Amino acid sequence: MSPLWMAFLILVFPGFAFTFAFAMAFAWIDRKVTARVQWRVGPPFLQPIYDFVKLLGKEVIVPLDGAKVLFLLAPLVGLSAVTLASTLVWQANLWPVRGFVGDLIVAVYLLTIPSLSVILGGFASNNRIASLGASREMKMILSYELPFIVALIVPIINAGGSIRLGEILLGQSAVSHPSGILAFIAAILCMQAKLGLVPFDAAEAETELMSGPFVEYSGAPLAAIRLTRSMMLFVMPVFLVTVFWGGITTGGGVLSVTVGSLKVLLLLVIVILLRNTSPRVRIDQAIRFFWGPYVTGVAVVAVVLSLLGA
Amino acid sequence: MSLKLKALCKSPWIFHVNTGACNNCDIELVDALTPRFDVERFGIVLVGSIRHADALVVTGGVTRQAAPRLKRLYEQAPKPRLVIACGTCACSKGIFHDGYHMAGPVDQIVPVDIYIPGCPPKPEAIIDGVVKLLKKVA
Amino acid sequence: MKEREELVTKIEEKLAGKVVSSRRDIPNRMYVYIEGENLPEAVRLLFDELSGRYVILTGVDTPAGVEVLYHFSFDGVGLVVTLRVLLDKDKPEIDSITPIVRGAEWIEREIHELLGVEFVGHPNMRRLILAEDWPEGVYPLRRSYGKNTT
Repeated sequence: MSPLWMAFLILVFPGFAFTFAFAMAFAWIDRKVTARVQWRVGPPFLQPIYDFVKLLGKEVIVPLDGAKVLFLLAPLVGLSAVTLASTLVWQANLWPVRGFVGDLIVAVYLLTIPSLSVILGGFASNNRIASLGASREMKMILSYELPFIVALIVPIINAGGSIRLGEILLGQSAVSHPSGILAFIAAILCMQAKLGLVPFDAAEAETELMSGPFVEYSGAPLAAIRLTRSMMLFVMPVFLVTVFWGGITTGGGVLSVTVGSLKVLLLLVIVILLRNTSPRVRIDQAIRFFWGPYVTGVAVVAVVLSLLGA
Repeated sequence: MSLKLKALCKSPWIFHVNTGACNNCDIELVDALTPRFDVERFGIVLVGSIRHADALVVTGGVTRQAAPRLKRLYEQAPKPRLVIACGTCACSKGIFHDGYHMAGPVDQIVPVDIYIPGCPPKPEAIIDGVVKLLKKVA
Repeated sequence: MKEREELVTKIEEKLAGKVVSSRRDIPNRMYVYIEGENLPEAVRLLFDELSGRYVILTGVDTPAGVEVLYHFSFDGVGLVVTLRVLLDKDKPEIDSITPIVRGAEWIEREIHELLGVEFVGHPNMRRLILAEDWPEGVYPLRRSYGKNTT
């Protein structure tokens, strides 16, 4: 792998530039569907790009008593993690034979880092509200990572114990088994929490906490944070479709790419509709929900079923 | 500089400050943000933190207690920023003209970019004022 | 109403000799003008003994002096009794009723700030609604405080 080729992969396609473009498109779809659900028109197509460019032009204010370097570095850490995760996931989709053993685990780790960067940034802000938001985000991570990983064991078992994304992709998709469907549902709920969307956005509760951990951010770091969130909105459905539903393979030509894209869009619309029709749950209710029978229980049942062969 | 301002006019994020208003202007402002009037078409979003704000919408004539706080909020908003004085009391103290507790209309404390008169101004008037401001700045 | 008339008679006979005058132009509103030294006793009568509901205090600057009004409501019979005390123009002083009615603490602070009435025995006389940099001794709701004085 020549360094030039790797740089191209990470920075242009399917890395940063590709993910940036699609993240903007997905953020627009989110806002437009939300607007339609509320019987109004909604922003124009380029609105997320206008937001991004405007934020780049704003003054950057760093808190005087905060941890300045960490404050400015945390958004970049999140952004680079999600870019790398996107590159990995898309590489598994486009060239399934080219992955390496264990790239599923690497992708899961990389997808956790943006939440960690939110916590770092919140605590580096020297602001009580940001600390409160960051501590809530910590509790959320504790609650949803467990069922997420348990749910991810099911496709691993179904693919015969392989932890290569490419092999899971090429094998039979997990949702053709009942255990796969249960695990998929659990994973969708965990995705909702991972993206920080209602009903599980206790960390960034706008009406209570004034944007929680991001209170002190302004200008370019804020643009990086929002871009990270939009990219997560793009990468997470693609990741779930890759692992559970057969991915966006190019094997069958245009048809399979279209079908794969439709699957991703369906997941996105589910996320958006959940977001618009639910109230926010309290942080203790969220932890009880995720560790209780509804999510972790379902995921464990799915694992047991898949071990039994169903 | 012109690109910054152009982008600012395509996505102005507003932050609402009440400096001693009777709440009528606040009610009309919140009305303007509801789905019926749909200001998101212009990219306007209500933000919770002053550090994310582009435009401060100030309602109410500024009382003596609120004056230093309004000044502090204005300084906390990152540049480039705009100030919108919403309501007659914000433009010129209104019926509290001779009040002993007023520190002055908003433009005595922070520089104002547009005045929206009315007691209270209708949501349509507020949106009209904001759009005129965006056209003027761009 | 029968109970209301009974209540009015009971108040009048309990306060007999201590009132300057009393008025009742409409059936459900009774004004009692009393002197400052009889005030705590009258408040105790209305609040503790007859279980009236304390409503609020109000203050007025009249040409004859500063007047403070104490409003008590008897919701069961539909009667509102107001005790009116006229204070000295140069040195308005009155006993605080906060030891009897805890809810009067803040309104007495406000009347002190805006009208300059001294409430003797008030446990917590601090600035309430005027700005931090407002000068002491300037009472904005007095008639002597003119227009456009800042």
